[in-house]
Amino acid sequence: MLLHIGAFHLDIDSQGATLWHKLAPHTRVLCVLLMVFAIALTPNGRWWTWLVYSVGVLLLILFSRVTLAVLFQRVAVEFVFIGVVILGALFQNQGDVLWSWGYLRITSEGLTALGSVALKAFLSLMMVNILVLTTSVSHLLQALITLKTPWLLVAIMASMIRYLSVLVDEFTSMRRAALSRNLMSSPGWQRLVVGNMIGSLFIRTYERGDRIYHAMLSRGYTGTPTVLKVPKMTKVDKFIVILTVIFLVFGQSLYFP
Amino acid sequence: MHHNPVFIEELAYIYPDGTKALQGINLKIKATERVALVGANGSGKSTLLLHFNGILAPQSGKVMIGPYSVIAENLKDIRNFVGLVFQNPDDQLFMPTVWEDVSFGPINQGVRGADLTHRACHALDAVGLEPSYYGSRNSNNLSGGEKKRVAIAGILAMKPQVLVFDEPTAQLDPRSRRQLIQFLTTLPQTQIIATHDLDMAWELCDRTIVLSRGQVVRDGPTEAILTDGEFLEQHDLEIPLCYRRPYCLLADAPHTQSA
Repeated sequence: MLLHIGAFHLDIDSQGATLWHKLAPHTRVLCVLLMVFAIALTPNGRWWTWLVYSVGVLLLILFSRVTLAVLFQRVAVEFVFIGVVILGALFQNQGDVLWSWGYLRITSEGLTALGSVALKAFLSLMMVNILVLTTSVSHLLQALITLKTPWLLVAIMASMIRYLSVLVDEFTSMRRAALSRNLMSSPGWQRLVVGNMIGSLFIRTYERGDRIYHAMLSRGYTGTPTVLKVPKMTKVDKFIVILTVIFLVFGQSLYFP
Repeated sequence: MHHNPVFIEELAYIYPDGTKALQGINLKIKATERVALVGANGSGKSTLLLHFNGILAPQSGKVMIGPYSVIAENLKDIRNFVGLVFQNPDDQLFMPTVWEDVSFGPINQGVRGADLTHRACHALDAVGLEPSYYGSRNSNNLSGGEKKRVAIAGILAMKPQVLVFDEPTAQLDPRSRRQLIQFLTTLPQTQIIATHDLDMAWELCDRTIVLSRGQVVRDGPTEAILTDGEFLEQHDLEIPLCYRRPYCLLADAPHTQSA
């Protein structure tokens, strides 16, 4: 039901010893963020820029030695979700009309927009999935803290990751109990019952959150962050970040007047 | 070690919906005592336990935990003094890995570096879990017994003087239950154990407090209380199994007892 989240072993390639793995987690997150921003902020139609960036993504795949099958499977699943949203970019008003049906008009501008947005989405998804495949969750969270993300936000994310599987288990046992009492008798009834289950899950989650908060208080939690040690940026880290910035600017420079 | 770790006088607590959870609770617990807190469902055990480490402040009456009264300024010291192990270990293991969970308490106490590593290792060793193997494991993938042990390790790492357990043997298989009982006998700290497992209370605790409908109805030696069948039945409890059937073979059963 929850597709690849169900496996909950997201970082299968994180035990490598490549140059990419040797970088500190916050350097990796920073590079990926910079790439994603550069890819996303490139205006529509700049195909050469994206070609250069895709060479970068390919090089990263080669350097980090990720499992290609898993990478493409995950990107495919995510792209299906995004594809539905992207489809809206196809219907623009400007440009030469190629095909029309009532109010819907597919124009050349629309095609450019769709192609650009799809390519942006694809490249960004590849970058982010490579990061998640090669970095463990605790390293990712630590990297976010190092990059000055508000501590409370990161703590909320950590709790979410910890408890998502617990919630999935609870929902599964509720569903099993309902099936044992003949849930499948009619679709309308099923919708009603599943709706009630989700509502019940919300209440249970709220009460659980209360109990967890008491447990945290009992162990001295005061709401202030407890960060142990912030790893410093080594020379290699700084070099890689600067290299990434130069690469991104080069990609953009292809369209400088 | 403080000689009188828990002192409660005329404690009362009413839930926001008006239900009287506790009324006129008076109790004094001495250092190194092991006390069982028994009572039917809804008798106020869990509410009373939450008063021991200041999660609930007394609405009326007085609660002294060691030298500290339960006020906002003392909460940090109170929570270092009393370690509360909750009933459901899933509520207590809230960090992604076992190591982070066990070090959560000491980190909040200000322990760092080699000291922190030592404390966490020591706590995991004490509960019988290998630190190098269990340290990096995800809390979600452990068995019920292992989760309970990690929860206890997380509290032991804070080095409290008083340990409070809410139903420690609930949901444990017989072997894990036996291991837990043996483990609790080795701990030197003062222990307060809220439990339905009257056989464990008999085995572990010299003193028993019986709660019924929010009031302390009896407080005294375990053997005297847990053999008083009439009294126990009056308060929705019963004589523990080990006393009711002290024979091993059915052939040795007394003739007057019904099947």
